[in-house]
Amino acid sequence: MGRSGAGKTSMRSLIFANYSASDTRRLGATIDVEHSTVQFMGDLGLNIWDCGGQHKYLDNYLNEQKESIFGNVEVLIFVFDLETTNKDREYTLYDECLLNLAQYSRDAKVYCLVHKMDKILDSDQKAAMVETYKKALNKRSDMFQPGVYGTSIWDHTLYQAWSQIVYALVPNMATIKRHLSNFCRLTDAAEVVLFERATFLVVCCTSGDEDEPQLEKYMTISQGIKHYRNTCTEQTSPFRSVHIRTRAYSLFVEPFTKSTYILVITADPEIEPAVTKANIDAARSHFAKLAD
Amino acid sequence: DQGVAPHKDQLADRRVMFMGLPRSGKTSIIKVVLDNEQAYDTLGLLSTTQRTEHRMMPGITVYDFPGIDDYAESQYIVLNPDIYEGEHTSLVFVVDSQSDIQSAITALFSVMRTAQSVNPHIPINVFINKIDGLSEELKQDIQHDIQQRVLKNMSFENLNCDHMHFLLTTIYSESIKEAFSKVIQYLVPQHSSLEAIINSFCSKSSLDKVLLIDFSTKIYLATDSSPTYSPRYTFACKTIDVIDEISALCGSYVPVDEDDLPLQRINVALDGYEDIFIYQISPSLTLFCFGPPQIISQTSLLEFNGSKVAKAIRKLLPI
Ligand SMILES: Nc1nc2c(ncn2[C@@H]2O[C@H](COP(=O)(O)OP(=O)(O)OP(=O)(O)O)[C@@H](O)[C@H]2O)c(=O)[nH]1
Ligand SMILES: Nc1nc2c(ncn2[C@@H]2O[C@H](COP(=O)(O)OP(=O)(O)O)[C@@H](O)[C@H]2O)c(=O)[nH]1
Ligand SMILES: [Mg+2]
Repeated sequence: MGRSGAGKTSMRSLIFANYSASDTRRLGATIDVEHSTVQFMGDLGLNIWDCGGQHKYLDNYLNEQKESIFGNVEVLIFVFDLETTNKDREYTLYDECLLNLAQYSRDAKVYCLVHKMDKILDSDQKAAMVETYKKALNKRSDMFQPGVYGTSIWDHTLYQAWSQIVYALVPNMATIKRHLSNFCRLTDAAEVVLFERATFLVVCCTSGDEDEPQLEKYMTISQGIKHYRNTCTEQTSPFRSVHIRTRAYSLFVEPFTKSTYILVITADPEIEPAVTKANIDAARSHFAKLAD
Repeated sequence: DQGVAPHKDQLADRRVMFMGLPRSGKTSIIKVVLDNEQAYDTLGLLSTTQRTEHRMMPGITVYDFPGIDDYAESQYIVLNPDIYEGEHTSLVFVVDSQSDIQSAITALFSVMRTAQSVNPHIPINVFINKIDGLSEELKQDIQHDIQQRVLKNMSFENLNCDHMHFLLTTIYSESIKEAFSKVIQYLVPQHSSLEAIINSFCSKSSLDKVLLIDFSTKIYLATDSSPTYSPRYTFACKTIDVIDEISALCGSYVPVDEDDLPLQRINVALDGYEDIFIYQISPSLTLFCFGPPQIISQTSLLEFNGSKVAKAIRKLLPI
């Protein structure tokens, strides 16, 4: 949900339809609601409703159609256009959406994406802008406690936000994460990351030492591979896997379960890559039970 | 000091000289290929007023000459005929396919007459540039048209056409790297020995195609003698891009000494007829191999053969 031109269809096309950021320039305004379904992490069928943001449609959503629009909602993603000329009207729309959500889908999760952050160059200013929205939104969101993220289709922030959303959507994510940590420890890997197969979103990551997981690094790898995968498909030789070995590290990107890819990085030169590969193969069926 | 003509002895022995009308894209091409600049960042380039030089692997120097509107008028002021001398000299003449082609051809002839008078065997590579956005058909038409006009006039003037090459290029695709590679290969020291080594690697290991690629510019210095198809080369460039991006994140590794090589070995598996094996042989050079999946998966055999090839190549090239 969000006003016309905010970037809803653009982000949907990037995440779920292999668009590149510049491809979105040819998108027209969305007519009414565009429904799409994606099979996500195996059993999870995501129904995505992209609600065209022009006035005539918004009026309908909030009046005649409110029950069908706001009923049975699992997640509401509201896209704020950083460049809007009328902030108040955007907030009013948000308020009205939440009012309806509270009535028809009280348990829904809410995410607010402050979009087109690439328009702000200074990183301190970026952070300040997201903070401002966060404050304003927390005040007006009542029971929903939205997750607020700054995003742009021109960098990894969009993927970062969507990874968070997906993480919350997959029901047994905590279990998967625990098993992934175990796997990381047992194989002496430095880093292990799980990607969703269709979107290549980072769904789960863990590292051997106590360091913070390097999310930004995984986002870049995920985008790089996703982009490369498109190139391979154009060449009619679909991408399967990459294995990089140096004296300092060994890196695998491998198809894992039916719905995931796995990234494994080992930093200990004593560990034979063939052993790591065998470990990945051995873990596959176990994780298939959890993730598919 | 534009008025002062450079002499041959001020220029490097193995050299490529870029010439052409102003705004034809010479500087952009060099920046995109050698400095990895983004194509759209060249939009703001100012006219080149001084000859600039760019050194590249392995011991080749690329010269960017200021664009000149009227070569017939100024060649003796700005250019010295002896700059064309030498058996390791190559000329690139850039033609802007989107502007007045006739005046570009006129300029090309002025340069060509002088160049061939001092060096009859000098390769003259005509880059028909800025073909982005044109249909495949129109590109072929433009190339055909320019080629016809040039070759007809050459035979009329009794110039030697044997060393003329016409290449379609745009800085917005890998076509420019491919064209650049073809120019560079002519100048690479020991090129025929390199090709022989790669041929033997290719047949002994049952590989389909092997390119010796400079990792940072993606120029290929040599390849086996099977034909090099553009889509395959483009695909190799894109593969290097993604590998480069990923390995930059994982930290680079500085080799202790030459025996510490190879630095990096990569397998890419695809669900098609061919997989990819990449074997780094020096900090900048890499063997890029296409082959059937059952061959590429025999990593230890490939690495063994690769190490022999690497040794041979390191002996030939000043790495
Ligand atoms: N600079 C910048 N432009 C963006 C970004 N995201 C989308 N855009 C541009 O914004 C324009 C409108 O995007 P859409 O995705 O069609 O907007 P929408 O929210 O779906 O609009 P409606 O369908 O009318 O509701 C397009 O030209 C996009 O290229 C972003 O992160 N940064
Ligand atoms: N569309 C397009 N523009 C190009 C191409 N190559 C160069 N240009 C543009 O042409 C202009 C002149 O380029 P420049 O390199 O300064 O020309 P020079 O005077 O020959 O060195 C710049 O704005 C470039 O961005 C190309 O392949 N396609
Ligand atoms: Mg839309």
